[in-house]
Amino acid sequence: MRRIVLITALLILAALPASAQRLNLDFPGLAERAEEVVDITLDADMLRLAAKFLSDNDDKAIRDTVRGLQGIYVRSYQFGKDGEYDRRLVDRVRSQLGASWKPIVTVRSKSKENVNILADMRGERIVGLVIISAEPKEFTVVNIVGPIDLEQLSKLEGQFGIPNVTTEKERRP
Amino acid sequence: MNLEKDLARALRRERPAPGFAGRVMQRIETQPEPRVRPHWWRTIAASLTLTAVLGGWAAHEVYEQRRLEGERARDQVVQALRIANEKVRYAQDEVREIGSTHNE
Repeated sequence: MRRIVLITALLILAALPASAQRLNLDFPGLAERAEEVVDITLDADMLRLAAKFLSDNDDKAIRDTVRGLQGIYVRSYQFGKDGEYDRRLVDRVRSQLGASWKPIVTVRSKSKENVNILADMRGERIVGLVIISAEPKEFTVVNIVGPIDLEQLSKLEGQFGIPNVTTEKERRP
Repeated sequence: MNLEKDLARALRRERPAPGFAGRVMQRIETQPEPRVRPHWWRTIAASLTLTAVLGGWAAHEVYEQRRLEGERARDQVVQALRIANEKVRYAQDEVREIGSTHNE
């Protein structure tokens, strides 16, 4: 009996690092103050269902990106004027992240948006991603649960009906 | 040849053979009564048809519901990835800009 309990405990412990973390993205009262709200909750079942409706040709890159993901959660709030939300919300989201989460990019700007990109690293693999964007009139959090290729994600631009235009900054040698 | 005479001969009234009426009546009496299908057969057929129609309609509704859910999920995936892509690219651009400023 003790052996069974021990083996079960070991299996649970072994499985824990493999499972990526879903964050609590509940921000009470924020939606009421916002002019525009994007609230997307897609668990593994919904992602599998969505994948069936992505075409093999046009949406291939998107299909490849979402394959293996366990969830995508987006909360985005656009406000009519500055200061409509508490900037400490960024810290509230960050405080949920465990030790395996590493900051990948942090952009701080006084005039433009502050962006934090953090990845749940298991060895060299990214098994979860959080993007927190805080602008004077916009607050956005994206939580991707599961293995995600950041490079692939950044190259998806041409898949959304927008031509993949190289920006002026990229063209600069 | 006289056509009128031929027709008159062909269509002239003839008396039936003796006992003809009796034989006809006898045959009528000996013939079995036509079979009448019982009403339950019609009821079952109507029920089966109704079940098939309702079943088909329900299946179509479920399929349609699933299709709408799937299309909505697909649109949400595209929207979510578009937002994520936008933020990642912004961060990358900022990092590149800082890098290029440092190199200059």
